Amino acid sequence: MSKFTKMLLVILGVTFYAQYAYAGLAPGKSQLKAYTWFRYTAKAEGALTELDASYFGLERGYLRWEHAFTDKISCRVNVDIFSSDKDPHGAGLKLKYGYVDFKEIIPEGKITVGLQKIYWGTVYDWEYVTIEKALEDKEKVVASADYGVTANADIPRGMGEWQLGVYNGEGYKKYKSNVDKYPALVGNVRFIPIPGLTIGGSALYEKKEESKRLLVAGICRVARGPIDFWSELITTKTGEPELTGLGVMIMPILKLNPNLELVGRVDYWDRNTDEEKDAHYRIIGGFNYYIAKLSKGKPGVMLQVNFERKQYEDSNKEADNEFLMQLRWEFATNPF
Amino acid sequence: MKMWGTKIMYAAIIVALIAAQMVTPEMAFAGGRTLVLTGSTTVLPIAQLCAEKFMDQHPDVNISVRGGGSGVGIAALIDGTCDIAMASRPMKTKELKSARGKGINPLATVIAKDGIAIIVHPSNPLSEITLAQLKDIYTGKISNWKDVGGKPGKIVVISRDVASGTFEVFKKIVLKGAKTRADALMLASNKAVATTVEKTPGAIGYVGLGYISSKVKALAVDGVEPTKETVVSGKYKLARPLYLYTDGKPTGLAKEFIDFVLSPEGQKIVDKIGFVPVKPTSE
Repeated sequence: MSKFTKMLLVILGVTFYAQYAYAGLAPGKSQLKAYTWFRYTAKAEGALTELDASYFGLERGYLRWEHAFTDKISCRVNVDIFSSDKDPHGAGLKLKYGYVDFKEIIPEGKITVGLQKIYWGTVYDWEYVTIEKALEDKEKVVASADYGVTANADIPRGMGEWQLGVYNGEGYKKYKSNVDKYPALVGNVRFIPIPGLTIGGSALYEKKEESKRLLVAGICRVARGPIDFWSELITTKTGEPELTGLGVMIMPILKLNPNLELVGRVDYWDRNTDEEKDAHYRIIGGFNYYIAKLSKGKPGVMLQVNFERKQYEDSNKEADNEFLMQLRWEFATNPF
Repeated sequence: MKMWGTKIMYAAIIVALIAAQMVTPEMAFAGGRTLVLTGSTTVLPIAQLCAEKFMDQHPDVNISVRGGGSGVGIAALIDGTCDIAMASRPMKTKELKSARGKGINPLATVIAKDGIAIIVHPSNPLSEITLAQLKDIYTGKISNWKDVGGKPGKIVVISRDVASGTFEVFKKIVLKGAKTRADALMLASNKAVATTVEKTPGAIGYVGLGYISSKVKALAVDGVEPTKETVVSGKYKLARPLYLYTDGKPTGLAKEFIDFVLSPEGQKIVDKIGFVPVKPTSE
């Protein structure tokens, strides 16, 4: 039996089991949510004497529709709208999420089928505390979403969570001819042994004919009072001949009050540890101000200001500097 | 450099504007101590009356009490926007996980017990209902009063919204996890449910014991009247504890306030407004 057939059987099995278990329940409610990120970007290379770019843009606009078929079966569809000069209309559109959740098939958990988050490293619960993407997303180690089937559950007493999944492996922007026939297997676990300490690890494995792809991430988060400190270590083994990559992220956050937080972040990324002077650092500093917090059916508005500097290990390359100021707002309708 | 200087100046102006916005009503209570409670609308009347009494005795204290539902209160505790979360249900695993991840260690103090009373319009001749009939009404299998021994007529089903702890407890005990019928009116507070039932002859709803009044009729469930006595004895099945959640063991003003709620004076208030005390009401 081919891997594709096995995967198809898993999807069909889960779907039919869930329908059988929860058939006959009345259809439920829907909810619409929208997120918009309006950003000012100023870029300068090398010495901060002259701007190379200065522009406003709608970096991201999500439109999300959620619907509960029953108490135990729900779905989500997300489209990602963004400014793009590749499109004649000045904006692009991508399907970001499109999945169905089957709850309580596994204890304290759910089976998710469709285009969904990749449960790896920090990318799946990255809340954009910095305007910049998560390290693994930015350096294209993994995509933030992909097509697949996952089991996703909480560990009792709030002690953490785990996920297991099988995905295409190429990410949500790739489809058909851009997707190989080899599935990617993903496992993730997070433990919270004591309040404020989270330790976790993820692995993605994809075996191809001549090569393999093994991505491993370890995370540690310490949160107490106004301090929230994230750290992540990434190692990658990809391709033939095999390349070994190494990434590190540390991100301290200091809450000055419930509405204002200072954030710092340092990334290190070396896509090939055998090659000299190909690594770079990314240093970010800034603040987030929650103008209005999101609550049931009410809008949430947030201002983010970041200065970001990308510095190369190769001293012949000049650093890239960016000043980013972003207004994020999101809202949800009451269920209807 | 000039252009970057301008950008930095703009950033400084924004920071200054933000700083000006940062003064919250709680901060404006200059020199005094403040406490913020958010959450369950069932616990709300207990917290409000206790807060009034407590502030009378402590003029330097300002206590802000807000509703929204148990889910909203727990989210506020996790988010650090309240000192005490009021809840009419225990925290869910997902909420516990989120709290622990952010360094919050939720600790529950039971301050009262409550029964969930099934109420109908006073003109409804029915005086009793079973848990099985309730489930059938709320899941959509029964839609006419004649099917439960009442006068023929459409049943108008009133429920609480999903942020409500009362809803969670009702769902667990009555619906056994099944979904509420799609045409049920989902309301945001006990008061809204009581008022709607009071004005709608064919309506059925559920509220905390403290919201029973002469304007609505409370039904016996499985032959047991919803009273403090039947809740204490355990005969009335639709009952639950009411909680105040704090981050770790309560300290400072939060401890003083919770101690007051559990004191004979506080428990008298619990008793007076129709809930069941968990501590003695006299010295």
